[in-house]
Amino acid sequence: MQHFWDQPLSWGTAGIFAAAAIGVLAFVIFFVTYAIYFERKFIGWMQYRQGPNRTGPLGLLQSVADVAKLLFKEDTIPKKADRGLFILAPVLAFVPSFAVLAFIPYSLNLQFADLNVGFLYYIALSGITTIAIVVAGWASNNKYSLLGGMRSAAQMISYEVPLVMSVVGVVMMSGSLNLRDIVIAQEGYFWHWNFLPQILGFGIFLIAAVSELNRTPFDLPEAESELVAGYHVEYSGFRFAFFMLTEYIYVYAIASLTTILFLGGWNPPIPQLDFIPGVLWFFLKFAVIVFCLFWIRATFPRLRVDQLMGLAWKVLLPLAILNIFLTALGIELIG
Amino acid sequence: MLNFNIDFTGEFVAFFVLAVCAIVGAVMAINFTKVVHTALSIAFTFIALAGLYVLLEAEFIAFVQVLLYVGAITILMIFGIMMTKHDGEGLEPPRPLLETLAAIGCLCLFGILFYGIRNANFPAEAAPFKEDNTREIGMQLFTQYAIPFELVSVLLTVAFIGAIALAKREEDPQ
Repeated sequence: MQHFWDQPLSWGTAGIFAAAAIGVLAFVIFFVTYAIYFERKFIGWMQYRQGPNRTGPLGLLQSVADVAKLLFKEDTIPKKADRGLFILAPVLAFVPSFAVLAFIPYSLNLQFADLNVGFLYYIALSGITTIAIVVAGWASNNKYSLLGGMRSAAQMISYEVPLVMSVVGVVMMSGSLNLRDIVIAQEGYFWHWNFLPQILGFGIFLIAAVSELNRTPFDLPEAESELVAGYHVEYSGFRFAFFMLTEYIYVYAIASLTTILFLGGWNPPIPQLDFIPGVLWFFLKFAVIVFCLFWIRATFPRLRVDQLMGLAWKVLLPLAILNIFLTALGIELIG
Repeated sequence: MLNFNIDFTGEFVAFFVLAVCAIVGAVMAINFTKVVHTALSIAFTFIALAGLYVLLEAEFIAFVQVLLYVGAITILMIFGIMMTKHDGEGLEPPRPLLETLAAIGCLCLFGILFYGIRNANFPAEAAPFKEDNTREIGMQLFTQYAIPFELVSVLLTVAFIGAIALAKREEDPQ
């Protein structure tokens, strides 16, 4: 995609930009539809239930039906809400989540933007979604949604810090913030992937990532038992769908990021298997991470609000700093 | 002076859009009466400026700008705004004389800046451009500028401890 940037902007190149964006959007919406289906199915099986099984063969059309229902639902805006911000917030949440996808390298040649600072790009844009969530909570003019928005902002800002710090070790080992270079630095057998030498960083990254995604056990911003539904209590219809879409697109982004940073991206586990295309390896690892996220959600209870902040600042952050020192020592001693 | 010589590359269109966004955000920040709206439009300006940094191939600065200014500072501002009461918000009485004078002043400033920028020539040879400028920033920070960097860190630590001390004192129940 890079070479189009320097050419004069004709209708042709603009069309290519637009077509690529729409292609990614279609793929992501497909992913989200079936991620929701499989999430419900897996959690159903884990809880000794069937999960959705009525709409279409094996219930495969359940999510499609749900989306259609949301589309036709009445779009309500509370009378005392801040109308402009109430309408703006879902859009503001969705746009950065989609823009984040531009930097992901799926294989050596399939990437939309080859950024020097790939990881920072993700962190920076996900911060904008945090604003959108706070604004959604505030604009609804409802105390539950305001509490949800506040919790969400506090949580996302706190967990961003260990998330960034845990990746510093990976960056030190590969000597670059560029995601392509990070993957290329992990070539070889699967014990060259970063998750073994960086096992501490990997653990911190996973915990902080689940928390950034606001998923169980860290789903306090939408804790049903305390806050009804958190920041999106007042939202219905398609605006609510936008928040759901944003959440699942971040699942997609985090799963891709974990694959790239710690699981060797498109590299096969042993080099003899490289006749299988890299994209397939990428999506295999990606699927494992997504499954683990569902698994965590089905298994763990929710944390209490006071434990949540303590975990980020008193446990994860010192461990992440320790990991940086250990990595530096390792690089000095082993090379 | 008015000879602009522009070719319409993708880069130029991106620059134009981002510049307009930055200006619109700044103007809206002045015009809104609700403080939350103001904070959001400032965030919008920050994002547009980050886009301009990307166009200048300073990606690191761009994303750190979004990370800190949009992700942290704007959220802190919104937090602060939400925690306080805003009953006195409303339209101020118009002051026509002041506004006219301000408009004339702005036009003069624009004229001076425009004249200055169009007439300036930059004789200094541009430094050779490094491909991996993020790495270059790191190198410079930890070799040539190590001492200023450490001093800034100490300053930040002092401010940090000071903030904690102030917050602790207010907590005391006497």
